[in-house]
Amino acid sequence: MNKKRVLIFASLIGIFGISFVVSNLVGGSELKFTRALYYLFHPGSAGIERDIIWQIRFPRIILGLLVGAGLASCGTVFQGLLRNPLAEPYTLGISGGAALGVTVGVLLAASGAYLPLFAFAGSGSSVFLVYTIASKKRFSNSALILSGVILSFLFSSLVFLIFSISGAEDVHGVILWLIGNLSSAQTYLIKIIPFFILPGIGLFLIFSRDLNILTLGEEKALHLGVNSKQVKKLLFIAASCITGACVAASGIIGFVGLIIPHFMRKIVGVDHRLLLPASCIAGASFLILCDALARGIIRPLELPVGVITGIFGGLFFLSFLFKSKRWEIF
Amino acid sequence: MGILKVENLSCGYNRRDIIRGISFSVKEGGFLGIIGPNGAGKTTLFRAITGILRPRKGKILYCGNDISGISPQNFAREVAVIPQILEVPFAFSVEEFVLMGRFPHTGRFEALNKRDYKILEEALNLTETSSFRGRKILELSGGERQRAVLAQGFAQEPRLLLLDEPTSHLDIAHQVQVLDLLKRLNKEKNLTVIIVLHDLNLASSYCDRLILLKEGDIFKDGSPQDVLTYQNIERVYNTVVVVRKNPIDLKPYILLVTEKEKCSRKDV
Repeated sequence: MNKKRVLIFASLIGIFGISFVVSNLVGGSELKFTRALYYLFHPGSAGIERDIIWQIRFPRIILGLLVGAGLASCGTVFQGLLRNPLAEPYTLGISGGAALGVTVGVLLAASGAYLPLFAFAGSGSSVFLVYTIASKKRFSNSALILSGVILSFLFSSLVFLIFSISGAEDVHGVILWLIGNLSSAQTYLIKIIPFFILPGIGLFLIFSRDLNILTLGEEKALHLGVNSKQVKKLLFIAASCITGACVAASGIIGFVGLIIPHFMRKIVGVDHRLLLPASCIAGASFLILCDALARGIIRPLELPVGVITGIFGGLFFLSFLFKSKRWEIF
Repeated sequence: MGILKVENLSCGYNRRDIIRGISFSVKEGGFLGIIGPNGAGKTTLFRAITGILRPRKGKILYCGNDISGISPQNFAREVAVIPQILEVPFAFSVEEFVLMGRFPHTGRFEALNKRDYKILEEALNLTETSSFRGRKILELSGGERQRAVLAQGFAQEPRLLLLDEPTSHLDIAHQVQVLDLLKRLNKEKNLTVIIVLHDLNLASSYCDRLILLKEGDIFKDGSPQDVLTYQNIERVYNTVVVVRKNPIDLKPYILLVTEKEKCSRKDV
C-alpha cells in the first residue's frame, strides 16, 4: 500500500516536472525548441530569447502553478467541508462577486492594473455576505450553499444589468476576463499572490486530519473531538482567501477545482492527508499544461486558458462518467 | 458520585422548551434506557447530554464538570456517541473509518502507534467487522454499517457510551447482537451505557434502569419492573397494552392489543 502511494506521488511529481518544462518551450514567439531548452537550463546567459523564457514564460508558469494548486486544493476542501462532491471553489458565490467587482472596475474605466483589486474586493464582499447569512443559520451546510447560490445569481444579474446599459467594448473585456486567463496577469501579482495561496494550502495540510472527520458531519465530528464550528470557519476563510486571490490573478478559470479533486480521489483515495497534496500537484500540472495549449494551439494568437480547461475538463469528465461502470462520481 | 448528572435541565428549539426541568444521575457502570412516545423529548434530551444542544436552564455534569466547559477533544476521549444514522458521503474504508475513533487520542502531528492499531483490532473483533475491514463504508448494508459506527465508538475507548436508537434500522438478529455486545462491555469493562430506545421489550430485557419520558418530563424513573407496568404505559402512550412476565428473563414483556381484540375480549 505504501509502495503504491510512493509510486503515485513520484509519478505525479514527474508529470508536474514534464508539464513545467514543456510549458516553458511553448509560446507565441518563434523560438526553436532546442534553443528554448538551452536557455531553460542556462538561466545565467544573456539575450532576448533568454528573457522570453525567464521573464515572460517562467513567471506565467509560476502563476499557473499557484492558481492551479490553489483552485484544486480549495475544491477538495469545499467538497469535504460541505460534504458535497459537486461543490467547487465558486460554489459559495465568490465568482459572482469577483465578476461584479471587475465589471464595476471596467465601468469606472480603472486601468488594467487595478482590476485584480476590484476582483478581490468583489469576492471578499460576497464571502462576507455568505458568511454573515450562514452565521445566522448556525453555519449549516445548506445555509452556506443556498446563500452562495442566491448571491451568485444576484451578482450575475447585476453584472448583466451593467452590461446592458454600458458600451459593447467594455462587455468584451469583462467577458474575456470572466473566462479566465493567465496572460493578463500583472507582474506585481506574482509577488503578492503567493502570500494568499501558500499559507492557506499550509493550513489545509495541517487540518487535513480534521477535514477527514468533518466529512462525517458537524455533529459526529464534534463527538470525535473536532471543534467543528471553529475548524469549519477557519478552513472556509482560508479557502475563500485562496479562491479570491486566484480569481483576482487570472479570472474565473473553471473545472480545475471540480474535476481535479474527483480524479485524485479515484487515484489516491479519500484521505485528505494524501488527497490534498495530490490535488495540489495535479491541479498545478493540469493548469500549466492547459495554458501551454492555450498559447500553442493557434499561434501566434492565444486562447484564454479557461476555454481549454472547460473543453478538456468537460470532455474528460464526461468520458470518465461513461467509462466507470456505476454512475458514481465520488 | 455519578458519572453523569443532569440538574434541572430545560432545553429545546426556537425558544420553546421541549425538556422541562428534569434531573437524574447515572452511576458508573449503569445501563440506562430512555424511553417514551414520539415527541416526548428523548432525542432532545439525548442531544443535550451529547453537548450538541445547549441547556436553557440547568446543567449537565460529566464526572462533576459542566460539559459546556469540556473541550470537544477531552469529551471525545471519555464519551462516545452513536447516532441513529450516519451519512458518510465519501468512500472511506471500514478500517479508515474505525481509526477515526483514535482522533481524540492522537496529537495533530502524531502518527498512529502500535497501541492505536491494537485498539483498532479489538474494536473490529468486538463488532465482527474485521472480515469486511477493507470494504467501503458506502457499500455496506445497514447492519454492517451500524456495527462499523459502533466499532469507531469503541475505538475511542469511552467510559460512557451514548446511543440514540442504534437498533432502529436493524433486523431482530442484529438488534440482539448489538445489544448483547453493549451488555457484555457493560459487564466486563464497566462501560456506562445510556441508550434511547423505541422498543420497550428490548429496553426491558437489557437495561438495569429506565427513564420514561412524557411531554418533556420524567414520568417514571426506576427498574424495568417498576417502570413498565400497564398503568404507566397506558398513561404515557395512550394505548392499551398487556404486560406479562417474559418467560426467559422474567422481565416485563409488553403485548400490544389490536382494536379488534379490544372489542371482542372485554375481560383483558
